[in-house]
Amino acid sequence: MLAGKGFKNVLNMAGGIKAWDDPVAMGPQEQGLALFDGAESPENTLLIAYSLEAGLRDFYLSMTEKVQSIPVRDLFQKLSEIEIKHQDRLFDEYLLISGKRVDRDSFDKQIAVFAVEGGLTTDEYITLFKPDLDSPGDVVSLAMSIEAQALDLYSRASERGGDERSKAVLLKIAQEERSHLEQLGQLFNDL
Amino acid sequence: MRWRQFLTPVTSISTDKAKNIMADQNPEAFNLVDVRQPREYETRHIPGAKLIPIAELDKRLDELDPAKPTLVY
Repeated sequence: MLAGKGFKNVLNMAGGIKAWDDPVAMGPQEQGLALFDGAESPENTLLIAYSLEAGLRDFYLSMTEKVQSIPVRDLFQKLSEIEIKHQDRLFDEYLLISGKRVDRDSFDKQIAVFAVEGGLTTDEYITLFKPDLDSPGDVVSLAMSIEAQALDLYSRASERGGDERSKAVLLKIAQEERSHLEQLGQLFNDL
Repeated sequence: MRWRQFLTPVTSISTDKAKNIMADQNPEAFNLVDVRQPREYETRHIPGAKLIPIAELDKRLDELDPAKPTLVY
């Protein structure tokens, strides 16, 4: 159908979703989008993305206190440190786009952490993916699933129209989430 | 009869090739379309895919850029 309607390069993915062995996203198209309601400016979009990263970092840190296995505890610690780097990146982008001179502490005070990346709560992620929290592989898989959900959320948010600058910011973050997924894939391979 | 519809090739690619395309390009550089039903999409979908069920595709083509590579599953 597409090929006959002027689409120049139509690529059919052989095997469809069944052949896709990378992390997937779940849930309806609207899931998590309410997080961006009323915050359509690029600055606020970055603020929300930053708060979602903070939520995920808090989650990983809280897990270091809950798990018994030392390797898994170290892994959660490492994942929380990775999130700091993601936050650094978003903060730099915020400074660039807003042109504001704000220090990190003041910036941190602006954010409200109520969800983690991808727009779900930590309990929802645990319920959804049911990881074995003694298994490093399961923990990295959980982290990859959260990043996949985040990539999906930012992509869907970018489709909502509105401010073109916000759309560009959302697409850029989505692309970065893809690279986060690749990093975690490497981490998984190194276990 | 729309002969062009039958003469324009649709290439089938492996998931590895699709992953390479997604990894190498900005999300704005390609269309990624899930043409299954909403319930199937909700269960699992490729991150970043746009849901346009096959039955709605002809009415929603304006949501896609025909100049970009379009990955469909």
